[in-house]
Amino acid sequence: MDLQKAKELAKRCVHCGFCLEVCPTYVVTRSEVHSPRGRIAAVSLGFDSVGIDTCVFCRRCEEACPSGVEFGKLMSFTRKPNLLELSVHRALENPKELYHTLLLAKRFSFLPWSKRIAEFVPEPQEPFEYEDEGASLNLFAGCLAPVLFQSSVKKALQFLKAKHKVRLINGCCGLAHYSEGERERAYLLAKELEKRSKGGVVVSLPSNCSAFIKGYGEFGLSVHCYDFCEYLVSFDLPKVELTLTVHDPCHSKIAGLSVYTREVLRKMGVQIVEMDDPSFECGAGGGYFVKQTELSDAILSEKTKKLQATGCETVVSNNFACSLALRRAGFKTLHVADLLR
Amino acid sequence: MLAERLRSIVGERWIVEGKDARLFGFDAFTAYKGEPSFVVLPGSEEEVRRVVTLLYQSKTPFVFRGSGTSLSGSSVCVCGEVMVSLSRLNRVYRVEALEIEVGAGIANALVTKHAPKNAFYAPDPSSYTVCSIGGNVCHDSGGIHVPKYGPTFNSVVKLRVLHLDGAIEEVGGTSYFNGASVFIGSEGTLGCVLSATLRLFPKPEASRTVLGAFYDLKTAALAVSKIYEAGVFPAALEMMDRTSIEVVEKSEYSAGYPKCEALLLVECDGFLPQVEEEVKRVVSLFKELGAAVFVPKNSEENSRFWRGRKGAFPAMGVISPAYLTLDAVISRESLPDVLLRIREIGEKHGVVIANVFHAADGNLHPLIPYDPERFDSLKKALIASREITKVALEHGGVLSGEHGIGIEKASLLEEFYTKEELSVMKRIKREFDPHFLLNPYKLFCEKKPSAQNEVLKLLYEVE
Repeated sequence: MDLQKAKELAKRCVHCGFCLEVCPTYVVTRSEVHSPRGRIAAVSLGFDSVGIDTCVFCRRCEEACPSGVEFGKLMSFTRKPNLLELSVHRALENPKELYHTLLLAKRFSFLPWSKRIAEFVPEPQEPFEYEDEGASLNLFAGCLAPVLFQSSVKKALQFLKAKHKVRLINGCCGLAHYSEGERERAYLLAKELEKRSKGGVVVSLPSNCSAFIKGYGEFGLSVHCYDFCEYLVSFDLPKVELTLTVHDPCHSKIAGLSVYTREVLRKMGVQIVEMDDPSFECGAGGGYFVKQTELSDAILSEKTKKLQATGCETVVSNNFACSLALRRAGFKTLHVADLLR
Repeated sequence: MLAERLRSIVGERWIVEGKDARLFGFDAFTAYKGEPSFVVLPGSEEEVRRVVTLLYQSKTPFVFRGSGTSLSGSSVCVCGEVMVSLSRLNRVYRVEALEIEVGAGIANALVTKHAPKNAFYAPDPSSYTVCSIGGNVCHDSGGIHVPKYGPTFNSVVKLRVLHLDGAIEEVGGTSYFNGASVFIGSEGTLGCVLSATLRLFPKPEASRTVLGAFYDLKTAALAVSKIYEAGVFPAALEMMDRTSIEVVEKSEYSAGYPKCEALLLVECDGFLPQVEEEVKRVVSLFKELGAAVFVPKNSEENSRFWRGRKGAFPAMGVISPAYLTLDAVISRESLPDVLLRIREIGEKHGVVIANVFHAADGNLHPLIPYDPERFDSLKKALIASREITKVALEHGGVLSGEHGIGIEKASLLEEFYTKEELSVMKRIKREFDPHFLLNPYKLFCEKKPSAQNEVLKLLYEVE
């Protein structure tokens, strides 16, 4: 927490309100308290508002802001994680521990928070490790995929193995920590990832992690990172006969990664039916769905309307946390890696 | 007590009290932050009716608010009024050919989004992605397409309004004694606009943009009238001066504008052959006047040109954390004169003034940046802004084209209206709101706020 720095960043806001209608919590509450403008004002006026905790941290407001307020950074300086958030962060850091935590959550699903988790996650699988001798390329699978979406990891690994010597990295990029105010810890995790990648290229499978790793410059670190689709786009790809819609995970959209997803899908011959505002939040937001259950559900139900309007049953979501929410809404989710042979 | 009774109407979560209420204390008018005593967010017309009746019966002053994007401060609670936010009345009730009925809290941009495929809602203030229809009606908001399609007034068919005694009435939809016209531009001082039936226009078949870069301000101003003399009736005709171009180029809205003293952005729309002819005439006129002419090569460049213009206000955030905007309207013929006088006023007071405005309808928007942490900086900006407005009035102009009187121009009303005019308007006000409970410190301001601080003293010219 560094409120002085947050206040400094808040000074750029001219209260124009251009951020309101892109903010998922404003859309579902219609209240200034749960809007970016309200949150910035609370920081400027120097008091702790309930709205600080309800931010999903999608950073869509930054895209809408004509004055260039660095809202994500501002929130990371403002927030202070509570016990639940700290526990979620620790679990996410180590996929093996996450596996055991989720197993427990599934078993003790009568407790409120574990019940919530159990509703969202499929059956967890024990994460596996992989490293070729003399590996030159890293596949970063993130925190959730090694435990909950192993088939996507396997497909991606198989594709990359055919071209390179590969090291699989399961772990955390630090985004969850950063978004909830654990900046120091986020820095350590970034540093750890830099070390584990041993100077090699990192191809990141979850697209919001890709966006965050690409922003490691803020920590004075540099990891040469490609989003999985960004990497895929230059290769020959199998043809797939499918009609689906595409969800743009919030941070990857801001980092400009949505174009790669669409280019890869087009190359595969996939028919895309675009939904309204494809980067509108899914409501998952890292651990958001556990701590802000009501808002998370309201956001997901807005998202569901947009998805339903496309008439598609399948949605491509390259970020696994989003996939959890979209599956809960009754859709079949695919990561682009799932479409590889 | 009152809060408890309101709570029983809207439910616990739709009352905002304590420090969080301060987050509703301001809008896009940056000079003054107020503080509502509390905020009520009713979720239906019936809830609004019950809330308003209760406030009226208990003689509590209150202010309606949409999205809080007013540039004149008209949605600010000046002295602890209760705020009634209408943002949750955001539904589309009915769409029928070229008419659409929407709730007061819906964002302007969503009207076109819900319109039939071949129709659009024309008024488009720069804040159209967020500003509410209720707010648009109450300020008769314009936007860049006013020259051809008119401001909100021309797009309102009917309004459903709520009177203070709780009666709900449909007004408008008639060509004589049109009750809706009283509410358009009333700045929330007469009653509550619950919903609006709006007129849609058919989407034009073609639309083309021409950008003219002029090497002096006067010629650019002159070109505005000449466009009409050439028989062209543009859908939009905007002007930006050097300062505003430089600001936009430094912001996220950077459009790649040419370096020049002033630029004119013209949009012609309609049927293709007519549009092509109009573009030809504008291009040759601009060339005759010695301007460099740019026609966007593709739709990407076209939207970049317009995005720069639309972002010009908030882009001021790049050079200053706060700014004042005026919106006096003058005749096209007096543009060259007035623009030069504005420049002189800026130089005299040592303030930067950026001009970005609706040139076709002579609706000026001088933007005057100031430092909100320094009172003398605000004072200087305010003095300059008053002088500019007075210059506009001397040239036969009017006080406000689309932002409203609000707080910003409350002390200037008497400069423009005669005693008789004001007394007629006050009589109308008294008919609707006999106790002056609605938005009491705006427009006529029956009583001025007590001078709690320096900023209020300055804004209301009170001691």
